[in-house]
Amino acid sequence: MKQQPTPAPEAAFSPKERIKQAYLDYVLRKGKPPISVFKLTQKLGLPEQEFYASYANFDAIDREIWADFGREARATAAREPVWEQYGAREKLLGYYYTLIEILKHNRSYALQSLRRSLSKMPGITPRVLDDFRQDFEAFVEDLLREGRRTEEVASRQLVQHGYPRFFWQQQLFVLGFFAKDDTVNFERTDAAIEKAVTLSFDLVGRNTLDSAADFVRFLVRR
Amino acid sequence: MDDTPKSLTSLPTTKVARAARFAKTGLNVGANYVKHYAKRAVGADSPTEDLHAANAAELYGTLSEMKGSVLKVAQMLAMEKNLLPTAYADQFAQAQYQTPPLSGPLVVKTFREAFGKSPFEVFDEFDIEARQAASIGQVHAARKDGRALAVKVQYPGVADSIRSDIRLVKPIALRVLGLDEATVRPYMQEVETRLLEETDYALELRRGQHIAATSAGLAHLQFAQYYPELSAARILTMDWLPGQHLKEFLATNPGQQVRNQLGQALWDFYMFQLNELRQVHADPHPGNFLLTATDGGTVGVLDFGCVKEVPADVHHLFTALLAPETLIDPARLTQLLTQAGVLRPDDPVARRAFYVDTMRASLELVGRPFRQPSFDFGDPAYIQSLYALGDDLMQQPELRQQREPRGSEHFIYLNRTYVGLYALLTELRASIRTNPAE
Repeated sequence: MKQQPTPAPEAAFSPKERIKQAYLDYVLRKGKPPISVFKLTQKLGLPEQEFYASYANFDAIDREIWADFGREARATAAREPVWEQYGAREKLLGYYYTLIEILKHNRSYALQSLRRSLSKMPGITPRVLDDFRQDFEAFVEDLLREGRRTEEVASRQLVQHGYPRFFWQQQLFVLGFFAKDDTVNFERTDAAIEKAVTLSFDLVGRNTLDSAADFVRFLVRR
Repeated sequence: MDDTPKSLTSLPTTKVARAARFAKTGLNVGANYVKHYAKRAVGADSPTEDLHAANAAELYGTLSEMKGSVLKVAQMLAMEKNLLPTAYADQFAQAQYQTPPLSGPLVVKTFREAFGKSPFEVFDEFDIEARQAASIGQVHAARKDGRALAVKVQYPGVADSIRSDIRLVKPIALRVLGLDEATVRPYMQEVETRLLEETDYALELRRGQHIAATSAGLAHLQFAQYYPELSAARILTMDWLPGQHLKEFLATNPGQQVRNQLGQALWDFYMFQLNELRQVHADPHPGNFLLTATDGGTVGVLDFGCVKEVPADVHHLFTALLAPETLIDPARLTQLLTQAGVLRPDDPVARRAFYVDTMRASLELVGRPFRQPSFDFGDPAYIQSLYALGDDLMQQPELRQQREPRGSEHFIYLNRTYVGLYALLTELRASIRTNPAE
C-alpha cells in the first residue's frame, strides 16, 4: 500500500514536490515534524531558501497535503461513470467515500495528523485543515445550488448561507469518526457517513420546518 | 445565482434523485402508521388487540430505524408466528419486503474495495438502483456476456454490529412481548449464530453451489448459478432467476394444477434436504422463492445464507417424533421427549404428564400432513389451528411460568423451517402428495 498522496506527474520532480515528499517521509518515519527547516533541506541537498520560496513553514506543508487529499477526492469521485446521474446527496456521499479511501492509503499520516489536531474541542477547525476547508465549502456550495435546482434542497433565504458551515461540521465529524474508528477496514465509518449524509439532506430538504414556518408567516401577516 | 427551481425540472430529474424522494415518502408513511396506532391506543377503551397493534407499530418503527441485523431479527420473529400475537406478526411481515436502500456511492465503493473497479467496469451493464432489499444487503440487476445477473451487496459493518444489535433489541423485545429472558436465550443465540453465518458470502456461495448440485435431480426446481470470480466478501453474484414473489404471483390467479405443482416442488425439496442432505435451507419466507408458471409451475430458490445442518441424532429424533406409532404409544413418546431434553428426570410427575400431553397435541397437529398419503394445505382451518395451538401454549400458565428453556435448540430451527414451509403451502393453497418417500 502506498503511503504518499500521488503527486501530479508533471510536478513530480520540482523542488516544491521534493520538499513535500521529504517532509512526509520524515513525519511518517519519526512520527513528528523535523526540528528545523535547515535539517530537512540539508538532507535533500537543497539550499534553505528553496524551502522558503515554496512554504512559509512546516504547517504550510501540512495544510497543503490536506488540501491535496480533498482535491484528489473530488477529482477521483467525479471520474466515476455515474457521477453525472448522481443527485447532490449522492455526490456528497461519493466524495466522502473517496476521501476516506485516499486517507486509508495514507492512513499513518492522516491518523497521526488528525489525532494530533482534533483532540481538543469538538467543532473547532484545526489550522491544518484551513485550505482543505475552503475548497470543501466551495464544493458544498456548488452541490447545494444544484440541489436547490432539483429541489433536493429547500430554499430558505434566511438560513441557507449557513449551510456550508453546517456541512463543514459534518466533514469534521466524519474525520473525527474515522480517526477513532477501530473496526476492520473502517466499516463503521462507511455506515456513519451514510447515516450522517441522509440526516443532513433530510434537514436541508423541504420538511416539517418549512411547513411550520409557512404557517406562522401566514398567521402573522393577517 | 440560479437558486430558483426551474419549473420544468422541478420534478427530480435523475433516476437516483427520484429514488431518494421515494425513500423519503416511505419514511413519512411509516411515521403516520405510528401516529395512527398511537391515537387508537390512547382511546377510551383500548382492547388488547389495539394495544398489541400500537406496540407492534412502535417496535417495528424502532427496529427499522436500527436496520441491518435487527431487521433480520424482526423477519425471524415474523416467521415465528407461533411466538407472536397476530398484530406483531403483521407489522413485522412488512419488514420482509421493505428496507431503505444503500446509496449508489456506497455500492460503487464496495466494488472498488473488492475489485479495484467500479461495478460499471466489472459488468457490461449495472443498475445502480437496487431492485430489492435483502435485509443485510440489497440486490442489483447486472448483465455480463449476455447473461442476466443478480448481484447482492452487503451493508458495511454488518458482521461487526450484529452482536451489539442483538444486545440492543433483546430488552425491547422482552419488554414488549412479555417474554422471559431464559425462554428466548437459546433462540437469540441461534439467531446470532445464523446471522453471523449469513454475513459470510463465501460460505453462502459454497452452500448454494452444493445444494444446487445435489438437488439438481428434483423436478420443477430452479437454482441460480454462482460466480465466484465476480464475488467477494461483501458481494455475491449469481444468475438472475425469472419469476415473481408469492404475493405477486398469486395475484395473477394461477390455476390449481400450477399451485399444486409448485407446492409439490417445495415439499419434495424440503424432504430431500432433510432426509438426504441433512442440510436445510432454513429461511422459507416468501421473499426467498420465485415462482413461475413455466412447465406447469417452477420454483426458483434464492438465498442460501441461512442453512441449518441437521446432526444425525437430531434427524433421527425428529423423524421418530413425527412417526404415527409414537403418538399412540405414550411410553415411547415419553422416552423420546426425555431424549430431546423436553422432559427431565427430576420433573414432578404432574408436570411430566402435562408436558407429554401438550407435546402430543402439538405433534399430532404438526405431523398431520406426514401421516396421510396426500394433504390439502388449501384448507385454512389447518394453519389456523396451528397458530391457535401456538397462542394456547403461550396462555398456559405452566408454560408461561417455565423459567428455563426446554428441548434441543436444533428444534427451534427445524420448527421454524416447517412453520415457514406450511405457511407457504397454505398461501399457495396447494394439495400435496406428502407420503414419505421410504
